[in-house]
Amino acid sequence: MRPTFLAFQTASRALAASKAHIDITGNNIANVNTEGFTRQRVDLSSISSSSYTQRYAVPGATMGYGVEVSGITQTRDPFLDSRFRTQNAEAAQYDTILKGLNDLEGIFDEIENAGLQSEMSNFINQLQILSQSPTSADFALVARTAAQKVTQILNIYSHQTEQVREQQIFDLENVVIDNDFNTTVKGIASLNQQIREEVTHGNVPNELYDKRNLLIDKLSALAPIRVTTQPEKISEGLTIENLNISLVDPTSGTTIGLVQNGLYNTLTTAEKDGELRIQINQSFGDAPKDITAYITSGTIKGHLDLINGRGAYATGAQNTFRGTLYYKSAMDTFAGNFAQLMNTINDPHSAGNLELFESNDGSPITSGNIRISQAWMDDPNHITTTDVIPTPENPTPGGADNILQMIAALNGKMDFRMDPKNPLSPVLFSGTTGEYLSGLSGELALDVELNTNFSDTANNVLYTLSTSRDAISGVSLDEEGINLMAYQKSYNAAARYFTVLDEAVDKIINGMGIVGR
Amino acid sequence: MRITNRMITSKYVRSLNQISSDLNRLNNKVTSGRAFTKASENTSAAIRAYQLRRDMSKSEGFMANIQHAETTLRNSESSIMHIQELVQNAQTKIIQGVNGTQSEGERKIIATELRNIQDQMLQTLNGSSSDMYYFGGTNTTEKPFTLDSATGKLMYNGNLLDDPALDSAALLADSRFVDIGLNVRVDASGVIDNTSVFKYSIPGLQITGYGTEEINGEDVSSNLYDLIGRMATELESGTYDSDMANKLLGKLQETSPKVVHALTDVGAKTSYLEFITDRLETKEFNDQERQMEIEAADPAETIIYFKSQEAAYNAALQMGTKIIQPSIFDYMN
Repeated sequence: MRPTFLAFQTASRALAASKAHIDITGNNIANVNTEGFTRQRVDLSSISSSSYTQRYAVPGATMGYGVEVSGITQTRDPFLDSRFRTQNAEAAQYDTILKGLNDLEGIFDEIENAGLQSEMSNFINQLQILSQSPTSADFALVARTAAQKVTQILNIYSHQTEQVREQQIFDLENVVIDNDFNTTVKGIASLNQQIREEVTHGNVPNELYDKRNLLIDKLSALAPIRVTTQPEKISEGLTIENLNISLVDPTSGTTIGLVQNGLYNTLTTAEKDGELRIQINQSFGDAPKDITAYITSGTIKGHLDLINGRGAYATGAQNTFRGTLYYKSAMDTFAGNFAQLMNTINDPHSAGNLELFESNDGSPITSGNIRISQAWMDDPNHITTTDVIPTPENPTPGGADNILQMIAALNGKMDFRMDPKNPLSPVLFSGTTGEYLSGLSGELALDVELNTNFSDTANNVLYTLSTSRDAISGVSLDEEGINLMAYQKSYNAAARYFTVLDEAVDKIINGMGIVGR
Repeated sequence: MRITNRMITSKYVRSLNQISSDLNRLNNKVTSGRAFTKASENTSAAIRAYQLRRDMSKSEGFMANIQHAETTLRNSESSIMHIQELVQNAQTKIIQGVNGTQSEGERKIIATELRNIQDQMLQTLNGSSSDMYYFGGTNTTEKPFTLDSATGKLMYNGNLLDDPALDSAALLADSRFVDIGLNVRVDASGVIDNTSVFKYSIPGLQITGYGTEEINGEDVSSNLYDLIGRMATELESGTYDSDMANKLLGKLQETSPKVVHALTDVGAKTSYLEFITDRLETKEFNDQERQMEIEAADPAETIIYFKSQEAAYNAALQMGTKIIQPSIFDYMN
């Protein structure tokens, strides 16, 4: 026999369920603009009767006992999440590289501003003017000044490229690793612990999940992380998931743990052999100390490429990206070979001590240390204008053949070698000085163009994934509004049902068994 | 697929950003007048632009050299013309002096005038401007023509013109030169290929002549200065030999066309320079046109694009307000 007041339970459960729906809808609407919020929905299950708990089996039709709110869950697709995070690392890498290359472009680009190429052309024209009156001291002075401008602008290029590199190192160390990476990793670990406690006590901490996902998204932009969950059995009937984050080596497959539940490892940078390396401060796990090779995408990789990239000058396992070190070395090669060319031509009879350019500290000439030789600074006529040896009849020969030789050499094809003083050293480039410089500028421009395209493509894909995520997890005000109306109706209906039951019981109590009253 | 509010707003913001950055880029194009402001916007055009700039700078250098050569040639020309006048003057005087009716006193006067002409010729041969001597070849700082202290004979750059061992070929080839764009070639030992540069100075040796010729058993200098001097000596000497004088006059008349030849040389060089200047000017004009094609933005075209982007931006702004605001809550009661 069915208990009289059992139906009231059904009615009250119905009311509670509708109330819960309305509350959740309200929560969703309130959080429509919250970053990282995943829409929540109520899980309802219908309560059934189970025969084996009753003393007597009930023949005939059985009825359910109403509805139960079994939980409040988030709608989230973890597969989309992992795709989003991989793509985030790629897009962030290209964005970082693009910014760094734009800084370099500001130094080397000469479309709007005069730079090294126009100073070289100017120097050649000053030599032409000197060839008209080779014995004139004032023209020699002007030619020397033009040469000085060339060396000074080489110094500026070198200095500014170093500054770009230092800025990148600063960004990587302070902004990316100290502020973003290490604090995020710590945050995720502490959230892991909080979630674990909540879940152990039976809650579903949706807000904490959202916070953690937001932090993991932020971390995914920095390095190619992989998120794995591991189930842990607490007691009979309760299994909680532990979240681990790690870096994976693409070639050997070894994983380097970054977060393991409540434990976390932080990163630092170290300078070794002129390169910047990433090292791990281990508090768990047994990874190798230097993990630079394991970071294959993300903002960190972008910065590392710009800082360590040597391009064609890379030997062994060095970074082959055309980063700041490549452009510095390219300018050094230019300065060294240019100086060697001019110094050799200035000494046609191999007399020695007739250098036009020297380094300011005695070491091999680079773009950073090239300057006019002290001898030339002391005497503008130090430049050898002619091969003819002075005689008593002709003490200052007025021929301009040596100057024309210099001009022809600067305009003509030459070999740019790794070591300008060694004729057996490998040739890095064969062409005129103008072609070398415009070629270098062209390489940089092409890199910028290429990375702009990569960045645009990566960002488009990222955006599509983000939209897909939103489509599943986002709050739609229209939908919530309709839900509100629907749940309000169901609430009204449940209240109505309650009224009907009340009337029925009232009938039984006050209306039954009264005959003829 | 569900469409959520976040999707609509983020897509809208993205689109507006794209249109704004296009507007910014076009605005830049119009205000700077350049088709591209950084090489990365159009790399191949940038490389061509750099090449063109280098070319134009080289042309500027050649033009400066040509002007310098022209000035020097003009000054040389006027000096050589003066020498021509002097030689003609000398010839007239000598013809007068050789005339049999002249007395010894009159001959002595003519001799003095001839010596005068000699001095003027020496001065003109040593002509200079801005401390650079015209006719000394690459010797620009010392007087090219001097007199031997022992014999008083003319020396060119320290070489006696009468000397049979005179290296005339080397002295004639010694001239100042500049690069006017004929592709200067230098061989491995530093010797310049003479056909690839432009020589713009006349070696004085070419004007005066050199060497000696035997006349009546005597070695007579062939160069104009010493020849005129020998003539003067003959006229003022006590043992005047009219046969010798006539032979000397004949030699002078044979030698004086050298000066005319030098003038022709200058004329030929000058007209060659005019020809090269013409070509360089045409090249400069063409290069400038090409530079405009590569580097300059067409302002009319750019402004039209800008206006149409502006219209697109306004349309996007208007439409955006219509889709962001309304939702079902506006219609619920």
